[in-house]
Amino acid sequence: MRCYIIARCVSVLAVITLTEVSLAGCSGNAPSSTTGGSVVKIGSDLPVSGGDASDGVPTANGVKLAVIDANKRKLIPGYTVVASVVDDAVNGVHNPSQGAKNIQAFASDSAVLGVIGPFNSNVAKAEIPLSNSLGIALVSPANTNPDLTKGSLAQQLRTTNPNEITYFRVCTTDDIQGPAGADYAVQVVKLKRAYVLDDNETYGKGVADQWAAQFQKDGGTVLGHDHITKGQQDFHALLTRAASLSPDVVFYGGTTSTGGGLVRKQMADAGIGNIAYFGADGVRNEQFLTDAGNAANGSYATVATVNAAKIPAAQAFLKEYQAQFNQPVGSYSANGYVAAMTIIEAVASAMKDAGGTFPTRAQVLDQLRSGKVHHSIIGNFSFDKNGDTTNKIISIYGVRSGGWVFLSQKNYAR
Amino acid sequence: MPDLHQFAQQLINGIALGGVYALIALGYTMVYGIIELINFAHGDVYTLGSYFSLSILALIPLSKYTQGWELWVIAIAVILLAALLCGIVGVLIERLAYRRLRNAPRLAPLITAIGVSLILENIMQIWKGTSEVSFPQFLPDHVHVLGGVGFHDRAVLVVAVSLIAMTALNMLVFRTKLGTAMRATAQDRDAAQLMGININATIAWTFFIGAALAGVAGFISGIYYGTTFFLNGYQAGLKAFTAAVLGGIGNITGAMLGGFLIGIVEAMTSQYISDQWTSVVVFSILILILVFRPSGLLGEQVPEKA
Repeated sequence: MRCYIIARCVSVLAVITLTEVSLAGCSGNAPSSTTGGSVVKIGSDLPVSGGDASDGVPTANGVKLAVIDANKRKLIPGYTVVASVVDDAVNGVHNPSQGAKNIQAFASDSAVLGVIGPFNSNVAKAEIPLSNSLGIALVSPANTNPDLTKGSLAQQLRTTNPNEITYFRVCTTDDIQGPAGADYAVQVVKLKRAYVLDDNETYGKGVADQWAAQFQKDGGTVLGHDHITKGQQDFHALLTRAASLSPDVVFYGGTTSTGGGLVRKQMADAGIGNIAYFGADGVRNEQFLTDAGNAANGSYATVATVNAAKIPAAQAFLKEYQAQFNQPVGSYSANGYVAAMTIIEAVASAMKDAGGTFPTRAQVLDQLRSGKVHHSIIGNFSFDKNGDTTNKIISIYGVRSGGWVFLSQKNYAR
Repeated sequence: MPDLHQFAQQLINGIALGGVYALIALGYTMVYGIIELINFAHGDVYTLGSYFSLSILALIPLSKYTQGWELWVIAIAVILLAALLCGIVGVLIERLAYRRLRNAPRLAPLITAIGVSLILENIMQIWKGTSEVSFPQFLPDHVHVLGGVGFHDRAVLVVAVSLIAMTALNMLVFRTKLGTAMRATAQDRDAAQLMGININATIAWTFFIGAALAGVAGFISGIYYGTTFFLNGYQAGLKAFTAAVLGGIGNITGAMLGGFLIGIVEAMTSQYISDQWTSVVVFSILILILVFRPSGLLGEQVPEKA
């Protein structure tokens, strides 16, 4: 009898867990409703709360700045551009089903002509099919998983119109970012023995596999590859096992919100606090420094875009960013700005072609697909036939005395 | 002997992790033992313990000149205060959410418990946000090496605190008047009432003690990990519940044993199988125990029904 009761409790709990997940999905902010008239709306779908906020908020700030600029320079004559910023994080972590809901809400607002986002590749996987079927442009500032645009996997995401590109991105991809990081680890930092971890997400696992493959190609040894679980707090056992293989670097594929900072912090407890830690763009944020505390020093991370501080054309943007928000520029702030600008420019020229009338979403998409060159603050680029940027720059950062500093960058464009 | 060292090292990891589970499991097991309610809000009371400790620590002017015994006095004061606050929350939960449902069908209080859990999670989310919150690591932390196996003061603290808590709890339950009242209530509520035992007060005390232990667990896990997160209690609560079932629900020693075993199983799974399988292994144990040995390793101690 007693065991029956406990078994029943467990089954009730399982049901509740499921409902909790679906309820949690409802907690995001809904975009504001149509105002019509002389307003052009640009949606922004990024994780702006919780552990991902230190990536999402600076990127969303870039979007806001683009909108301010567009209105100041009257890029769309007769119309006011408005940014509609929503959150795709649930309980502090980016959430694919929340992202999908946001896209649907944007699509139902006829004033929204394009959406910036998302930040995380697993969210993109949920959003691309909707963007494709609803015919609304989605421009990501930061998704790096290659399978979102290239090959048969990307084809499968475009469920309704497999040959119509509706998803674009202004950053480069993990088939370049991963190997670039591994090259730097082997050739510059002189690392030889790696233990690889990832968070089992689209982005994390993808970039970890790419990094590990190149690390071996460059002559390094991959001692092991393990995966962590979302919500995990204790990594002592995992890192103790890693430590026994005497690695000189731990690679982590994933974001800070899925455990990147905690892994770095607990490496010290396992006796490997003094070895290098390598990550990719998911950990190059302020939250990583907060989570890892003093242990953050000696960490490296790649970012799949240029460092805006190194580009003369971006200086005005950086100054304005500082004046407007008074907080550190994120890895993808400039990309947020550029992503928004590509949509705003597409709307402007679509409107011009349509003789000054409010363009359709299809007309905006046609502009983005035209392959024309964008002169942006992160350099000149165009979107190729898959929707990827022709800009292939990877920058590398490291933590020195508690802060991220720029180390180098390299152009991988052929 | 690297393999043996590795095993010993993982044993220490597992025992430290298990210490936290054990402290939480004690609260589950006590409440189940007395009113047969699986208090699913208990895991969140544990997280609340970390958050209370954080707020108390923020009030104490810690400087780098504070050292030695002063730090330990502060630590003990924070533990006691956090335990007291959590205890009060526990009593409030019992009074507001469970007492009216004491004679209702079993499913009603269970669902209420899950509701309370969600309420607590949301309160914590509003209170400290949805990011990881860092926990000040103000206690001295040395690494000791014993026969090639290293362990931190923090790990010793976790284990020591959980052992002290279990001993104190055992003494309370078996040596004091309150403990006798608790056991009498657990055995037969009506008969206990006829003997002049104040049932409501006894049950309230049970909740107080269970929640206070969760508060202690919240503090030491904050010290051990250096961070806390508003949803930590959910996973930890489930694992601790598994520990309580493994040891025999209602059984205090069993809950402790179960907690340590679950911690060790997790560490060993991570070492010899793969880290991503830890939850699978732990919850498979829960299912196996429920199927083959529903009364747990040490046997359940629950109300006797005529």
